[in-house]
Amino acid sequence: MSARRSLILVVAVLVAAAAGLLSACGGSDESAQPAGSGSPVALPSPGGGGSVVLWHGYTDVERAATDVFVARYNATDPGFKVDAVFAGNNDYALQKLLTALAGGKAPDIAYQYGSSMANLATSPKVVDLSPIMAQTPSFDWNDFFPAERLATTVNGKVIGVPALVDNLALVYNKKLFDQASVAYPTKDWTWTDFRDAAKKLTDSGAKQFGWAYVNDGSEDTVWRFLALLWQANGDLLNADNTKSALDSPAGIKAMQLLYDMSVTDKSVYLDKGDGSYLNVFNSGKIAMLWTGPWDISSINADVQYGVEILPADVSHATIAGPDNYVVLDNGPQQVANAWAFIQWFCSPEVHLAYATATGHLPIRKSETELPAYKAYLAKYPADEVFVANLDNVTKARPNIPTYPKISAALGQAVQSVLLGRAQPEQAIQAASQQIDSILAAGQ
Amino acid sequence: MGAPGAGLDVVGESSARRASRRERLLASENLAGWAFTSPAMLLVAVFGLAPIIWSVVLSFQRNNLLSGGTWIGFKNYERLMQDPLFAHSVRLTVLYTALFVPISIALALLCAIALNRKLRFIRLYRTAIFLPVVASTVAEAILFNWLLDPYFGIVNYALVKLGIPAQGFFQSPSQALYAIVAMTVWGWLGFCVIIYLAALQGIPKELVEAAAIDGATRWRIFRRVELPLLGPTTLFLVIYLSINSLQLFDEIYVTTRGGPLNATLVVVYYLYQQAFQFFEAGYATAIAYVLFLGILILTIAQLLIGRRFVHYRS
Repeated sequence: MSARRSLILVVAVLVAAAAGLLSACGGSDESAQPAGSGSPVALPSPGGGGSVVLWHGYTDVERAATDVFVARYNATDPGFKVDAVFAGNNDYALQKLLTALAGGKAPDIAYQYGSSMANLATSPKVVDLSPIMAQTPSFDWNDFFPAERLATTVNGKVIGVPALVDNLALVYNKKLFDQASVAYPTKDWTWTDFRDAAKKLTDSGAKQFGWAYVNDGSEDTVWRFLALLWQANGDLLNADNTKSALDSPAGIKAMQLLYDMSVTDKSVYLDKGDGSYLNVFNSGKIAMLWTGPWDISSINADVQYGVEILPADVSHATIAGPDNYVVLDNGPQQVANAWAFIQWFCSPEVHLAYATATGHLPIRKSETELPAYKAYLAKYPADEVFVANLDNVTKARPNIPTYPKISAALGQAVQSVLLGRAQPEQAIQAASQQIDSILAAGQ
Repeated sequence: MGAPGAGLDVVGESSARRASRRERLLASENLAGWAFTSPAMLLVAVFGLAPIIWSVVLSFQRNNLLSGGTWIGFKNYERLMQDPLFAHSVRLTVLYTALFVPISIALALLCAIALNRKLRFIRLYRTAIFLPVVASTVAEAILFNWLLDPYFGIVNYALVKLGIPAQGFFQSPSQALYAIVAMTVWGWLGFCVIIYLAALQGIPKELVEAAAIDGATRWRIFRRVELPLLGPTTLFLVIYLSINSLQLFDEIYVTTRGGPLNATLVVVYYLYQQAFQFFEAGYATAIAYVLFLGILILTIAQLLIGRRFVHYRS
């Protein structure tokens, strides 16, 4: 046995391994040219064998439906294969994509939260879809709801296609309203009606609450407040996103409502961010929730619930949380194939069928005009209000890279008011100053 | 390490030739040794060394991990020194460590002494105290969330029955950190107890007997014989627990997420927030390096102080 020969072998293996690693790190240099906005795109026609990898975080019914639809697409023999991969909980989708991009092994399509768009837009590997859409008029981008289009547009670039849209509406437990002899919410409800009802529906002895609020200071805390702020006709930032607009009568009024309900009336169940509010609602201890379609399927069968649009101050504004499919640049052929699949998957007929399987809301206006929409509403009666409520979404979160920091600052302010640690005006002013300094510092 | 090839000496070879041959053999053995360890070394280099070096580079950049970084020199470190939230997170981490380490060690010593006896079902008790170590942090967090729920938790139920008002625990900015201390002490206790138990059982019986014959009381035996002999174990636990508590993250991540109102925003959680919520990977790595330096200094200080007080049995 020769030690030298085995040594040579080991060294050879190491060199091979190192070469493999290097090529993995360097990755896909054939697609080095950026997909800059405005540059003319000449995508090859779809095909070429291979597969398009789609990362999503769906489980249960949604995952099964996604697999069925992907299989249906693959059966049309488009010249390539779509591979839908469960990439873990959507809450971690951004971290996973960041890691994959750093390692040069990104999927072709990735499901991402709308709030991540502004930062994703800074990556040269994320494809700007606007020139591609311009060349594909049949895609009819304007058919998508305005809130969705706002959420995927960053500095004129369109960096995603809506994957799912939802919005906040008022979901209430009918039995608790009957017991307290309070009339059900209507579409004309005001903040005063809402606060009075919540107070009457609260019974501290029985640990029963009129309303629930997610109080962990995260985006879940913030977007509920944004709905309130917009209802009072206020806004978070000025028109060109350079200054805070929070410190306004509307901002203080919105914060005051939270203070009055949580601290003065004690009518609000404060959820610590683990989603326990839904269990408490199911146990008949919370009368009203501000929530979206994603919670409806988790409401127990024995809970008689109703859905109504949010109460109004100046308007009945609500907020949408559109999530998107982002396309990653793995070369023109892959982008062309990904785009071909997305066009099919987001076409009105296919998406309505998918929505009927999953309980998602339609993502296009034209879906509501299709004959099959009746069957959809028959299956999901609660969704009628949510679909109508999309018209109340007129504003979107600012799509700027500093938004996560702004959200954190506002989250702290809302939390301090809910816990009675700060007065509304003081909290608004502190948050507004913080936001101004975040904006001044830039990314 | 002796060269086994030396046994193959051929009679008649000149000593110079023999020596050069031995050198060659040694050299090739050295190479073979390197070759055998190289897969492990490569793994360490790729997954350990490379990220460490890359993060040094990162800490001198403004980098969001998406669009390539820009070189900003020591700006991240300068900003760190003036960041009130970072100072706050350092204070919280120090307070947590100052509570967690002594409480864990004192409780563990008590439990270890209680369990270092011949009792019926002693194995059952020892297993029971070790169980939380085996349970995952997430399960632990769910359990404590449930116990300490401000509205429906059974701890508050008991408190109210006793006439004490219900508490906020994880939801109260003034109590959340203490609730985390309680939860982590519970989670770590079994580990410390096992280490102490092993050390107690390693104490030679003849020393205890000799002291007893000389008329020492049980307390004096503990104070003068057993406790000094536990010194090295205590030093190990102090260092190990301190390093772990300065790096506290999991328990925060699955319970309070730094809140409410930053009441549990410890250093590593702040780091995570900067890197993965605010896209400030450069700033986050600067935090990581300052933390590393802090841990290094604390550990050296503990070892130096320990050298004075800890008695090693030769």
